[in-house]
Amino acid sequence: MSAGTNSPAGVVAWAFWLRSLNEVTRVRGALIGTSIAPLVFLLGTSGQFGRLVGLPGFPTDSYLSWIVPLCCLQGAGFAGAAAGANLARDIEQGWFDRLLVAPVARPLLILGPVLGAITRSMVPVTIVLVVGLLLGADLTGGVLGIVALYVASAGFCTVAAMWGIAIAVHFRTQQAGPLMQMGVFLGVFLSTAYTPQPLLKGWLADVARFNPVSHVLELGRQSTVSGIELSLAHTWPGVVSLLGMIAVFGALALVGLRRMGR
Amino acid sequence: MIVGVARESRVVAALGRRSLSVQFRRAQLLMPTFVLPLLLLAVIASGTSAGRDLREFPEVSSYLGFVVAGTLLQGALLAGLTGGIALASDIEGGFFDRLLTAPVRRSSLVLGRLAGILGLAALQMAWFLLVALLFGASYPGGVLGALGAGALAAITAVGIGGLAIAIAIRTGSMSLMQSIFPFVFVLLFTAPAFFPRDLLTPTLHDIAAYNPLTYVVEGARGLLQDDTSLGDPLLGLAAAVGLAVVMTALAILALRDRARRA
Repeated sequence: MSAGTNSPAGVVAWAFWLRSLNEVTRVRGALIGTSIAPLVFLLGTSGQFGRLVGLPGFPTDSYLSWIVPLCCLQGAGFAGAAAGANLARDIEQGWFDRLLVAPVARPLLILGPVLGAITRSMVPVTIVLVVGLLLGADLTGGVLGIVALYVASAGFCTVAAMWGIAIAVHFRTQQAGPLMQMGVFLGVFLSTAYTPQPLLKGWLADVARFNPVSHVLELGRQSTVSGIELSLAHTWPGVVSLLGMIAVFGALALVGLRRMGR
Repeated sequence: MIVGVARESRVVAALGRRSLSVQFRRAQLLMPTFVLPLLLLAVIASGTSAGRDLREFPEVSSYLGFVVAGTLLQGALLAGLTGGIALASDIEGGFFDRLLTAPVRRSSLVLGRLAGILGLAALQMAWFLLVALLFGASYPGGVLGALGAGALAAITAVGIGGLAIAIAIRTGSMSLMQSIFPFVFVLLFTAPAFFPRDLLTPTLHDIAAYNPLTYVVEGARGLLQDDTSLGDPLLGLAAAVGLAVVMTALAILALRDRARRA
């Protein structure tokens, strides 16, 4: 039993997890944005900027290999942000008010949607990875590299879900959806998304150096980029960055949640 | 006849004003529309500017001035989509059903929303061009070139808005509209938005020929840089107007279908 509640925490979290997974089957097009869009983004971006690998300093000669982890993170990020959009819908329609008066600990109300988002995010991540490999991306990191990519994706999905939920409990409207997705876009783009650090110029070089998502990308890129070999040095900064972002955005979400209904 | 047209024009203007004022009432939700394209412009201009060193890259006065045409296009896509999301919100909230019972032509309901999108897009384009100018973009095409490029993008926003409205009317779901958001980037990246068409990979180069936005962005680029070898403005205008006419018709048909089913 959770302190101060009448419901076993595990059962409640499980129920909310299953409910959030229902989005996949009951909401038309729920997986479209998170699955197909990163895939087309993968094709579009590699087609658009593919010639950049010809520049001196690029760690791989395959732009597809460079961009696959980015698109995996994007897909996972969209899935996470969707948790916030779904929560905003529940708030607008009054369903969440009923949950707030239920005898359950409030963190459990968001744990289920976050777990659901992580589960859903595995779909786009796997699709992007498989299609990328089929199109010729390298698999330089082997099995451990793939594990690193999935850890990076699941972690980033959690970060995006916490961000989305924080926005949802603050604005309490579905129209805040683009704001949730914008956070994901910014996190990803203000990093070493398109080119490696040495090729970045001006202010972006500084921002990307301090953006924790650059480290998360490096964690994932151990799977496909020949110039980023599997090692502890390429792993721990990404893991620490993920934990830090989850702590910050999770705290924001919980603070917003506590304010609701007061 | 003239009295009827004048009356419907007033309806369209009133609905357009309402559409704009509703969006600006919650200005924080417009942030993605006004800020995200500029951030992407900054990121791409900084992150991929090394691409200018590629041998085949055309001679341009500034890289920022070259890629800003892609930002105009992105703004057009977001303005159109935002209009569709706002309409889905009206449908879910029941306001749209009340409009349907009003003694006005159904097409005026669509045209009113599109008028709002056109107004929003015009403001966006002026904002993007001004900010890029302040940050060092140069427009050899002068004021007329900038006005022409802005107009091309604003007309394109009407076309995308028509498509978004048609989807919103057919589905009536804000969740679905939110998940369409990433597709904005699909349309964007299958056109030579940020890189010259000749530098795209062969597959994307072929696909781009079938994307009407290719001609819009190239036309805008030709106008801004005063160089028709970068793009034909007349071809861009034809693509933008064609898109707007077809998508507006699609939205009106969707509305008629909905009214018939109601």
